[in-house]
Amino acid sequence: MENTPRNTLISKYFAPQEIKEALELLSEYGEEIKIIAGGTDLLVQYYDRLYEIAGWLDLKNLAELKKISILEPYMSIGAMVTHTQLEKSPDIKKHFPILSQAAAEIGSPQIRNRGTLGGNIVNASPAGDLLSPLIAYGAKFELLSLNEKTVVSSEQFFIGPKKTVLRTDQLLTRIILPWPGQNCYSSWIKVGRRRALAISTIALAMVVKMTEDNRIIQEVKVCLSSVAPTPLEIKEVREEMRGKSFNQLNFDKLGQIVEDKTLPIDDIRGTKEYRKEVAKRITIHCLEEIYNCWRRKCL
Amino acid sequence: MSLNKLTIEFVINGRKRKVETTPSTRLLDLIRDNLCLTGTKEGCGKGECGACTVIMNNELVASCLVLAPQANGAEITTIEGVGRGKNLDPIQEAFMETGAIQCGFCTPGMVLAAKKLLQENPQPSIEEIKRGISGNLCRCTGYQKIIEAINLAAKRLSQQAKRREDADE
Repeated sequence: MENTPRNTLISKYFAPQEIKEALELLSEYGEEIKIIAGGTDLLVQYYDRLYEIAGWLDLKNLAELKKISILEPYMSIGAMVTHTQLEKSPDIKKHFPILSQAAAEIGSPQIRNRGTLGGNIVNASPAGDLLSPLIAYGAKFELLSLNEKTVVSSEQFFIGPKKTVLRTDQLLTRIILPWPGQNCYSSWIKVGRRRALAISTIALAMVVKMTEDNRIIQEVKVCLSSVAPTPLEIKEVREEMRGKSFNQLNFDKLGQIVEDKTLPIDDIRGTKEYRKEVAKRITIHCLEEIYNCWRRKCL
Repeated sequence: MSLNKLTIEFVINGRKRKVETTPSTRLLDLIRDNLCLTGTKEGCGKGECGACTVIMNNELVASCLVLAPQANGAEITTIEGVGRGKNLDPIQEAFMETGAIQCGFCTPGMVLAAKKLLQENPQPSIEEIKRGISGNLCRCTGYQKIIEAINLAAKRLSQQAKRREDADE
């Protein structure tokens, strides 16, 4: 290895103890090095060509990235937090229930134990199960490089199938979730071929925030996976719902807006027509669930 | 391409091992080829079938989706570490009694998934058993007998635990 020029890797493996060390490696090797967290996407993607990977940057020793912490006025989740941790964390279950629920429905126990939140984000699959709930909760991502810290909103992070704004010298370190507040209701539905190990045919996350008196809808986010090149927020639904009370809403009409605004494709998991139809149905279903939850709270 | 070798250390089935490997070797290949523990199987190689399941650091993982260096310092249990020789684990006994084994290819992974499930949840419901083995495919049994086996093992293990408790008192 002594004669190898700088910036060239020949099958090397790094597992730094400090974030700074990881950032140094990224700045030196950039595109050549592959960041590995749980490996549940990466090793599938490179199944028959692992030899192509010149260098590995394993994040397993970065303890800081495995923490879930409550920091008023937000919650911080380390990028290395696994789906199992998200599923079991009482804080996430309580304050961000559909993130926990979506994590519980990913893959299988084996996948959930290794796969991470950060990995799910940077993999940026149009079918990524955690992405819709993150956007619906207004998550922000902290990106570190050797010279700077940037915070990007989840809405702006995804730019295409498997494409994000993350540069090769940057590391996703934390996911920042603003507190949802007292009167926040959420619902999540994933439709797949079977319950375990299914890549979503379509999934929907809906978060509705009410005013302090719990009567008027203040903020709404409806976000879908597997219906567009990136997770898709349907902003028109927000416009239609904001400032109204539940009794003034027409659920069928809202479902129709979602159906009209999705841009799905035909693939092995479902046709375009099927996805559009299901988008409408699950929108109505989520609205009903949220409405019932709100009504129970009002009584 | 020359491969950069590295040495890793871990505890497997209670035994400390030091092995030379490469950065892109999968834990599955290390276990089968370097350590000759061929009870761990390769099915799909993509984390979907669970045949390569092992317990690593007290968690169920698909060893085909773990790089060998990622297991440096880890504690691993493979099927060879469950029961000793003819002294079988109650889960293995229950699998034999209920006929939960046909071709046997999924069995090592299934037994480990069951073992982990019963450690965390000693008295699982049928639904919980199904979820516990949802990462393991079986193409022979139709799962019914596997579920029965795990249910039987759970009952016996909790009876054993109860007897031990009574004896202590």
